[in-house]
Amino acid sequence: MTADVEMKEVQALSNSVSSAGVPSTLQHMKEIASLIEAGAQAKEVRRIVRAVRLTMMLRRKLRAPLVAAFLGYVLTPGSEVFAKLSSYLPKDDDHDMDVDTAASAVQGPAKHSIPELEIYCYLLVLIFLIDQKRYDEAKACSSASIARLRNMNRRTVDVLAARLYFYYSFTYELTNSLAEIRGTLLALHRMATLRRDELGQETLLNLLLRNYLHYNLYDQAEKLRSKAPRFEAHSNQQFCRYLFYLGKIRTIQLEYTDAKESLLQAARKAPVAARGFRIQCNKWAVIVRLLLGEIPERTVFMQKGMKKALTPYFELTNAVQIGDLELFRTVADKYSGTFSSDRTRNLIVRLRHNVIRTGLRNISISYSRISLADVARKLRLDSENPVADAESIVAKAIRDGAIDATIEHANGWMVSKETGDVYSTNEPQIAFNSRIAFCLNMHNEAVRALRFPPNSNKEKESEEKRRERQQQEQELAKHIAEEDDDF
Amino acid sequence: MDPQLVELTQLLERFKAACVRNDFSTCANLLSQLKVRLTGFPSLPPSFQETPNAVQELTIARDIFEHAVVLSVKTEDQDAFERDFFQLKPYYTDTSGIIPPSAQEYPILGLNLLRLLVQNRIAEFHTELELLPQSALENPCIKHAVELEQSFMEGAYNRVLSARQTVPHDTYVYFMDLLAKTVRDEIAGCSEKAYDYLSVNDAKKILMFSSDQELSEYITEEHPEWEINNGCVFFQKAKESQPSKEIPALQLINQTLSYARELERIV
Repeated sequence: MTADVEMKEVQALSNSVSSAGVPSTLQHMKEIASLIEAGAQAKEVRRIVRAVRLTMMLRRKLRAPLVAAFLGYVLTPGSEVFAKLSSYLPKDDDHDMDVDTAASAVQGPAKHSIPELEIYCYLLVLIFLIDQKRYDEAKACSSASIARLRNMNRRTVDVLAARLYFYYSFTYELTNSLAEIRGTLLALHRMATLRRDELGQETLLNLLLRNYLHYNLYDQAEKLRSKAPRFEAHSNQQFCRYLFYLGKIRTIQLEYTDAKESLLQAARKAPVAARGFRIQCNKWAVIVRLLLGEIPERTVFMQKGMKKALTPYFELTNAVQIGDLELFRTVADKYSGTFSSDRTRNLIVRLRHNVIRTGLRNISISYSRISLADVARKLRLDSENPVADAESIVAKAIRDGAIDATIEHANGWMVSKETGDVYSTNEPQIAFNSRIAFCLNMHNEAVRALRFPPNSNKEKESEEKRRERQQQEQELAKHIAEEDDDF
Repeated sequence: MDPQLVELTQLLERFKAACVRNDFSTCANLLSQLKVRLTGFPSLPPSFQETPNAVQELTIARDIFEHAVVLSVKTEDQDAFERDFFQLKPYYTDTSGIIPPSAQEYPILGLNLLRLLVQNRIAEFHTELELLPQSALENPCIKHAVELEQSFMEGAYNRVLSARQTVPHDTYVYFMDLLAKTVRDEIAGCSEKAYDYLSVNDAKKILMFSSDQELSEYITEEHPEWEINNGCVFFQKAKESQPSKEIPALQLINQTLSYARELERIV
């Protein structure tokens, strides 16, 4: 389950191979700080997003003295935040990085402490603590940051806040105490909704769903999900997670068709580096497809890097495809440990019914007439009265349209009907239509997802102009605010 | 000891005694009094305040609701069952660190599973099932319900019916009887599609009727389209799945037009 949490991390690490800095890491961090500052002043969320992304690249190089130096540079030494954050850092400095610590700490002027930077420092320290596996400190730090965030209402902080929420929940998950923070998360979600912080809502909703699903509280999860406001996704990663959770909930509630759609979409949209997450999606998708009576293609199991993890599910698929109850039972027993830890065991119990169906379909295709006793033997039904069982099972399969046959009770036979010509029905037309609809829909969504750089070729010269315009706007805003005050 | 608690315990004893006597009107009366009194204890869900008597209070409250659930089965009131069960549930899920688990827990959870099965709320059945730990699935009461659901899905109806003889708890009989009715309707539905005809004797056996009289009554009530001729029941099969003669013109036109429109947009 922790696999998909690592989604971001893996991605970040793969990027961080870049050569050990010609400019020092601290220099990089200072650049990030100025980026955030600029973003906050110009009210451009985009820059802050970029700062967070750059931070993830530096993640591996974070060391205690480095973080301390950065804190000294950005925050006012002696301020409350500074004291609090430095207290989380390990004290046993083994100065392996003799960077320009002292120098920068001195030159760090007080003007820097804008709220965005403060929150960014929380985030940085938290990431550092998690990477150092100091979970207790991380827990304290994340709780403090959440407390600080609660009385801060700035749109430019939202991006950083969403990240903090994520790590907050992550630390509690690592220390196995997710249940404790459910109330806080709900309160934060409400707050984010009231402030129209959509990224925050998205992140928090996912964290809550994860929280509920961690304890198998599918009922609560579905109730929250169905009532929470939905909007266009802001972050692809959050959207993938949402789809995955949605798929899980729907699987448990037997809405297999919808579940399949969500799970497959989640698996497709997830970044390539998020292998653990994609494996999880694939596992669930395989089961759902089996429950729907489909047989997943072999290529699903042969995907790069997933072969080993998906082996139990591959064997399971085989058993279902052959329709052999005995084999199915053996596979289920053989991998019961895996299935339990994947929490798919109850779903696999549900599959028994599909194995019988497939077996029955095979029999009905091969024989035009077969005695029910033989059916029972072929399906390997082990009960006191296999013939009666077989009869009612066949009867139900006929009613559900799985096989086309009749039973002659007096003789104890099952008589298969001739299979009709599918092409004389509307069936092909319907299948064709649904495929066309799918392709058209895909095209339309792709068009909608296209993004263009903001007028890059038109306004090259306008850096200055824009600043001017912004100043004017701000002045106007000030005027309006003053006028408001007058009343 | 807290006088309020003493009073509650006494009331509970009277309630239990009435339950044993099957004196339902007294039971209902006492139960509503008990429930009103329970609202006065802050240690109970949802506030879970840590009062000095919390352990006792929680245990008593759980006991009351457990009896209420059993009572609702006895009075055959499914709505009351659902209400009482939901009041009881927090005691099972959220008090594990405070009071020792109840011996009645699994029988009652199993009973609830059975109720969901009878009411054909399969999605909720599975949602509840996910909440149970692996070890609980070995419990005879839970296992019973789980196996029933499987047999029901497979269509092994005689296994469902024979399970009535092996009920793990006598409160289960009520729901098992309800289930039998559902099963009969299912069997009737399946037989209709699977057989061309059945002899009256076989039909009687399959549908679990003891006399021809009952069978014909059932047929006239539920399936008037079936015919009884020469000691055989003939099922009038709906003639479906015939190759369609008619061309669904309107639908085709609509589809083709929409393709044209979409293509226009692409090119």
